[in-house]
Amino acid sequence: MSKPKVAFFDFASCEGCQLNKLNLENSLLSILELVDIVEFREAMDDRADEYDIAFVEGSISTPTCVERIHDIRRRSKILVALGACAVQGGINALRNSQPAEWVKEVVYGDDKYLFPSIPVQPVSAVVKVDYEVRGCPMSTPEFLHILKSLILGRKPEIFDHAVCVECKSSENECVLETGMFCLGPVTRAGCGAVCPENGQYCSGCRGYVSNINTDGALEMLAENGLSRLEAVKRLRLFCSSELVELDGVK
Amino acid sequence: MNQNNFTSLRQLKKVFFDERTTRGFISFLSDRAKVIAPCKKGENSYSFEYIQNPDEVVFDYPRTIQPLKKFFLPPRETLFNFNTRENSFSEPDIESEDRIFFGVHAYELQGLLRLDHCFEEGHPEYNYLRRRENTLFIGISYTPDDWHFSRSVGIEIEKLEGFCLYFEPLDSGFLVFIVNEAGKNLVELFGKGAEIDNDENFALVEKNFRVKIKFHHNRLPQVFENVYYSKVWEEISRKCLGCGTCNLLCPTCYCFDVRDEIELDATTGKRERFWDGCMLNSFALVAGGENFRDPLSSRTRHRLHRKFKYLADSAGDLFCVGCGRCSKYCPAKINIIDIINDLIGDFAGQQKRVLI
Ligand code: SF4
Ligand code: SF4
Ligand code: SF4
Ligand code: SF4
Repeated sequence: MSKPKVAFFDFASCEGCQLNKLNLENSLLSILELVDIVEFREAMDDRADEYDIAFVEGSISTPTCVERIHDIRRRSKILVALGACAVQGGINALRNSQPAEWVKEVVYGDDKYLFPSIPVQPVSAVVKVDYEVRGCPMSTPEFLHILKSLILGRKPEIFDHAVCVECKSSENECVLETGMFCLGPVTRAGCGAVCPENGQYCSGCRGYVSNINTDGALEMLAENGLSRLEAVKRLRLFCSSELVELDGVK
Repeated sequence: MNQNNFTSLRQLKKVFFDERTTRGFISFLSDRAKVIAPCKKGENSYSFEYIQNPDEVVFDYPRTIQPLKKFFLPPRETLFNFNTRENSFSEPDIESEDRIFFGVHAYELQGLLRLDHCFEEGHPEYNYLRRRENTLFIGISYTPDDWHFSRSVGIEIEKLEGFCLYFEPLDSGFLVFIVNEAGKNLVELFGKGAEIDNDENFALVEKNFRVKIKFHHNRLPQVFENVYYSKVWEEISRKCLGCGTCNLLCPTCYCFDVRDEIELDATTGKRERFWDGCMLNSFALVAGGENFRDPLSSRTRHRLHRKFKYLADSAGDLFCVGCGRCSKYCPAKINIIDIINDLIGDFAGQQKRVLI
């Protein structure tokens, strides 16, 4: 059996997710025994025409991105979105709430006409995404779980429950007990509740559980002393594409 | 004051330990077994931990974050390791070491006794029961806070079932009540406490619960028989975030899920089980993508029926022990006492209508 061909692509992002993969050091050699990595900009320069699994990092933010992602989708059997930008639009999508012309001027100044751009979208808004690895940066254990499952022909099992579950399983002191607020109750687990484990609130980088009770979340944040505007900003930081019902809240 | 309970204490033999002697006693216990006791966790919380140094032990604490369950049903455990090439598997050894749990509240041990029932009945659960062997429990009194309500579910602060010794604080130390033979042996071997004449009277401090359920606990299964369609469930679900904290901290929740994780060699791996809960999305998700308990209202309804009806019917005891964890730590500030009292209100309303 020939090894599956795996490729990595990046769009608008900080490339932190790809670096996170390179940090897999210990596992990297074993991974290379199982798959052929045919495209990986951060690490090599080689090209193939078809991929068994394409991992895509970053959000879609220009007309060229749209063309590229369609092209990648056409050539890939399985497409996996990596990290908050690819899955939820991420931090990049914050600019959607500002006037587009103003944003371009701030970033490119007089050259703004050279850089056509569109509202930031997660990959799934443009093409079909088969699996998601969430997190900012993406969670490496989840990435490995998906990779191993796909190589072995099994369906990856991705949790759709709150960070609180992992936080309580490790018996961390809940940051609510220390007077902070926390987005853990509505944020998707998979990171091992690393922020609360280190005494910090969860800022929702992994996006939300599929059944998020948005009104309930706003009520909780109000109880924790956040104004409605502040609460909405916090909830949208990584996830503006997931909480469209909060569009336009001032 | 609840006369009955102090009366039962008064019939027991007792010794007096001042605080230093008590810490010395914990050291003495550590020489004989692994000792587990409440310790400070973070800024404002507590947790049961293996004790290295008796000074770490906290005597006066409202509740620990996790109940004792974690020592018998760990949040995550490997059921077996497998090798797909050799077509073989091996189960990890489960050690059964002597363990003494010091400073346990009555509702806590009652929670564990209810778990015992679940793991003993039907198909006995080896891993749990193995870890339950060779354990002793030493109780301690507590002052109820805004969330404890164990008296409302029939568990007094001084309920002694399952303890070998019971510590009741006085100004200057503890009265140590000897509950059974094992406790007597420990105190005799330690040999340091001051003997107390049984006729001597101590002003034991009366402790009151700040919150309570409106009905006597023996009426609760009947209430639950009549509130399946109550509007209360829908009302709670407006606030509920489905985070699962109420499941994950409950001393009598024992549901778990299993998952196979394969190593990068694509040959070896392990089957792990980890805590799950009926408030979570995948819990009632079945093949084909159907979730038979999708709305949060139906999940809370199920969770409370498990505590007050289903398991109560089969085991004879309520499966809520009134520890208050699900309410104290609910990020949406949903309080189980309010839910039950609202349900009781609903039930009482129905009864009136029947009379008319
Ligand atoms: S710290 Fe945050 S994630 Fe952890 S239990 Fe508390 S609310 Fe949930
Ligand atoms: S705790 Fe929250 S913010 Fe921190 S990594 Fe996990 S999901 Fe992201
Ligand atoms: S802890 Fe509170 S918010 Fe979380 S699932 Fe339970 S009732 Fe709902
Ligand atoms: S239902 Fe709540 S109060 Fe009752 S035992 Fe469970 S966590 Fe404690």
